Amino acid sequence: MALVLLENVVKSYRIGDQEIRALDGINLRIEEGEFIAIIGPSGSGKSTLMHLLGCLDTPSAGRMQLFGRDLTSARADTLAQVRNKEIGFVFQSFNLLPKIDVVRNIELPLLYSGIPAGERRKRAIEVAESVGLGARLNNRPTQLSGGQCQRVAIARALVNRPRIIFGDEPTGNLDSATGEMVLQMFRDLHAEGRTVVLVTHDPDVAAVTKRVIEIRDGKIRREYNP
Amino acid sequence: MNLWITLETGLREIAAHKFRSFLSMLGIVLGVSSLIATMSLTNGIERGTKAFMQQVGGLELVTVIGKEISAEMIEFANLSPGRTVQDARAILASTSVVTEVSPEINIGALLSSGPISQRMQVVGAWPDYFAVNRHEIAAGRFLTQLDVDRAAHSVVIGDAILKRFWPNLPADDAVGRILTINQAPFKIVGVLKVYEREQDKRMREIVKARQPQMTSRAQNRWDPFRRKNESVVIPLSTMFFEYKSGQLPEDSLDSIRMDNLSFRVGDLDRFRETLSKVRNALNITHRGVDDFDLQTREEWFQGMEASISATRLSGGLIAAISLIVGGIGITNIMLASITERVREIGIRLAVGARGADIFLQILVESVSVAFIGGIIGIAAGFGLIKLLIAVAPSENVPFVSLDSIVISVVFAIIAGVLSGIYPALRASRLDPISALRYE
Repeated sequence: MALVLLENVVKSYRIGDQEIRALDGINLRIEEGEFIAIIGPSGSGKSTLMHLLGCLDTPSAGRMQLFGRDLTSARADTLAQVRNKEIGFVFQSFNLLPKIDVVRNIELPLLYSGIPAGERRKRAIEVAESVGLGARLNNRPTQLSGGQCQRVAIARALVNRPRIIFGDEPTGNLDSATGEMVLQMFRDLHAEGRTVVLVTHDPDVAAVTKRVIEIRDGKIRREYNP
Repeated sequence: MNLWITLETGLREIAAHKFRSFLSMLGIVLGVSSLIATMSLTNGIERGTKAFMQQVGGLELVTVIGKEISAEMIEFANLSPGRTVQDARAILASTSVVTEVSPEINIGALLSSGPISQRMQVVGAWPDYFAVNRHEIAAGRFLTQLDVDRAAHSVVIGDAILKRFWPNLPADDAVGRILTINQAPFKIVGVLKVYEREQDKRMREIVKARQPQMTSRAQNRWDPFRRKNESVVIPLSTMFFEYKSGQLPEDSLDSIRMDNLSFRVGDLDRFRETLSKVRNALNITHRGVDDFDLQTREEWFQGMEASISATRLSGGLIAAISLIVGGIGITNIMLASITERVREIGIRLAVGARGADIFLQILVESVSVAFIGGIIGIAAGFGLIKLLIAVAPSENVPFVSLDSIVISVVFAIIAGVLSGIYPALRASRLDPISALRYE
């Protein structure tokens, strides 16, 4: 069964009297274990698509089915639960909480899934070690380099064992060497059998994936395998 | 998200902005401390007033007073013997609830001892006088039935009389001395306790500590216990035979009119019933002439209680206004804090926090602020009361009761909840996408 199934999905916004179609009839199917890039220039609708796939939003029309559940018109709390259990996000600007240390940042998703404190801490440390942050557990994000921050973000995305991981321009704020290292981590995640979706405007980033979906003006313009 | 973590997160947030949190607490601190202060003050006033009521005889004390005879009874006025010892006996016989009755004759007499003379009020009474008027003995004894039966020349004096005639004599040594009342010698058998207000007692102790030789103080203020301290009490029979007999040939101890007649109701639950029994008994002894009335202290005491609750209410109102202002302060700062934390909220939403989680987080934070403010306010209230006691000693020592602490904490928490609801609601309704993009 498909992990993600979009059928004729439309997402539109109203600005004044004008209706703007950010997504206009998207059909997409993503299977378990795929490594995908969604590529397109800014304003193409790729971010809107990621928001839908990431359960941050619901479509205006069409049908959206994720993890076997129809989420076309799901309530906010249902979406929050799906985000918590099934989805991990890695953002361009890391989006870590600056006031709490690395372990607590990684723990964050577990706080909202009712896992007891001891178990939370154990899993957070395990994941932190797996991304090479074992020595930085009690540092605050402000004391870390950009690459380390992105590794914290990846650890946070992994900690609740999600079924799909999204990277939104994950290398955008990093220098090329660090960016390469982060991409290698995504590659490794895919190699472990995880489903990874990268959203980017950068063809070089897209090139590390197995399947590229190019968005233009809210429509899928083409698909190819690099 | 469990409550413990939510609380910890809230406390971290408060600790991260100490000054701002303190400012937002300030209103609650002021509200709670003024609540504590007014409650303690009224507690003190209430206790002081209750003690005063007890010392002046309490609600149980009822006085039989003379009354203008009504127009239709004026023809029969001469039938009534007026207030006499017979009335006192009739009251005792009418009900078992009244256990002490005090008929009294008062005269102004010249008291003297050695070179000192002074005119004072002298009371002739039964031994019940001391119980009815709540007297306590400091040295010697009260008058007894034997004193009355024998018409003994025994006298019990108040502390002020002792001080007047023997300024430096301890009460114990005064017992057995002679005091002449209109030339007749009386033996002092007892000295009564000093009656004073808390305030005077403290002042006396302070003065004593500073200047041991100085014991008197300014007498210019009204002292509710002055009359009690100036008591000079002799047996009723002695009073009659020594000073009242022979004025009219037909006068006897049983027929002479009393100047005062009061009694004590032993059981306040049967107050009304007892009063009507006494009234019936007196109607018989007065032969149906309505020349008497029963005066109770209900109205007087109710007046005092009403003024206490008025004080309490106005203090409470001030505290309530401060708490409301404090609550608005918290709302204001929480709204500012949310605007500052839109991105944090966005991140929490993105990793799976529900609206309810965010709502609870903000609410717990504002309740924590209010609770801490409440605790500081209680401490400040304590300090305020201590300061007040030190600066202005009063007869009604304010005291902080457990009730007032519990009430203050509850009100602080309520203020925290109410002031947090709106900011929490706004935070919980943020859209995750725009919150994440917020710079």
